[in-house]
Amino acid sequence: MKLAAGAFLAGATSRLLPASIPFCYFGAAVVFHLCAWLALLAGAGQLPRFSAGPGWPLAALHLVTLGVLVMTAIGASLQLLPVATRQPVRSTRWPAIICWLYTPGVAAVALGMGRGVPLLLGLGAAAVTLALIAYAALLAINLYGARGMPGVVAHGWAALGCLLVVLATALSLALTWLGLPLLDHATAVALHIAFAAYGFMGLLALGLSYILVPMFALSAAPDERQSITSCALVVAALALAALAAFGVAPQLLRIVAITVGSAAVALHLRQMLGALRTGMRRELGRSFTLVRIGWVLLAVSLAAALALALDAPLPGGPTLFGLTLIGGWLLTFLLGILQRILPFLASMHAARGRLRPPTPSSLSADRPLAIHFACHLTALAGLALAVVTDSPTLAALAAGVGALGATAFAVFFLVLLRRMQRPAPAA
Amino acid sequence: MNPSADPAPLGIRWRERDGVHIDVRGLAPPGPLVAILQLVASISDATPVLVHHDRDPLMLYAELAQIGWRAERLPSPAGEVLLRLERTQ
Repeated sequence: MKLAAGAFLAGATSRLLPASIPFCYFGAAVVFHLCAWLALLAGAGQLPRFSAGPGWPLAALHLVTLGVLVMTAIGASLQLLPVATRQPVRSTRWPAIICWLYTPGVAAVALGMGRGVPLLLGLGAAAVTLALIAYAALLAINLYGARGMPGVVAHGWAALGCLLVVLATALSLALTWLGLPLLDHATAVALHIAFAAYGFMGLLALGLSYILVPMFALSAAPDERQSITSCALVVAALALAALAAFGVAPQLLRIVAITVGSAAVALHLRQMLGALRTGMRRELGRSFTLVRIGWVLLAVSLAAALALALDAPLPGGPTLFGLTLIGGWLLTFLLGILQRILPFLASMHAARGRLRPPTPSSLSADRPLAIHFACHLTALAGLALAVVTDSPTLAALAAGVGALGATAFAVFFLVLLRRMQRPAPAA
Repeated sequence: MNPSADPAPLGIRWRERDGVHIDVRGLAPPGPLVAILQLVASISDATPVLVHHDRDPLMLYAELAQIGWRAERLPSPAGEVLLRLERTQ
């Protein structure tokens, strides 16, 4: 019996989801990425001193977090965890249902926030919450059945716990808007930001990095004890931040939480840089330049958090912190990883039924990615400058450049889809 | 690629008449991928590589295509995946 690798992939026990499912998540993320920059353009007047409250900056923030970061994290984790932890895909129906429930939910949340329509926001939030609960159940089943990779699995469980806190605080914030607060507003905001960014999304980003970075660098598996220690430090930092949010020695515990979080990040980055240093593949290109910039901005976000905890006189401090954390670390890191993983995943799917699968590089388009790279970094720098100088005009210009970059990224994605669906050349 | 980056090759290697064999069973991801690509990168002629694996190496095929190799699955005992890799360019 001789089977082409692609035919083998299509076997009944495949750990690959049908291509339509991960590409539904990634496609939605690409669209929301563009929408986020456009929402920011619409809210540029409020952006330089934005800290909270309804409006287009809040909509832009949630288009990035829910629409790009969580959307991609769901797609990536549903696809990668079965592959990495040696499990067959148990259900293709539920990942598809979640995508179709979550995507309009995010759109409704963003529109409700941007236009100030509580009913739309409420409906969207309900859809997003239901979808995330269903995702949490799928993730839990995946993690429970995992074989090997205890470091990645620990990050997954911790991210799952954080997701529950994020959902509870989101509910509290939504009810506060309707006049029925569950928690003190400042407490709910502090918990929501920490557990969403460093907790749920951050832990998934850190955990999936233990699979993706060595895989792309072609290095040995990271040390499991160190990755579990890093995860435990992140959890400890979040617990301290939660106590501070509830008013227990707030300034002291925030500083200790940031210190513990910094130790976790240092340990994580030491392993990641070690993987890059010892890997067989040294030329990782533009995508890993974004990943490295994301890592630098993760460290900068902790420094900004420390400045806020110490009440340092930083113009637009809370906005700069949010920009560094969400736009600087999470979005930059994710876009770097995404432009690397999409051609790879497309090649794996396009391999079905072919003796020779198309190469990832033949499916990718370099020029749109080069434009995106320049625009993304220019836009982030422009936004930071707009916040420091309190300039709505500069914020609008930066958002426009960001939208151009997001359009270029969407072109890259469309070219990839088109090339992936191209029929195999005749043998 | 830099095949000599890791001085200690992963997996168990041996040579038979049908090619160079590598057993990557039991290695944690991405160990099998790295071990196979290390071996493939060290081969300069048309010698085939036979991979003894405990699972379908989903990530391998795109990497092989990228460097001008391809994989075929061969009959194997239950619980083992046997692949024959050969250069295409």
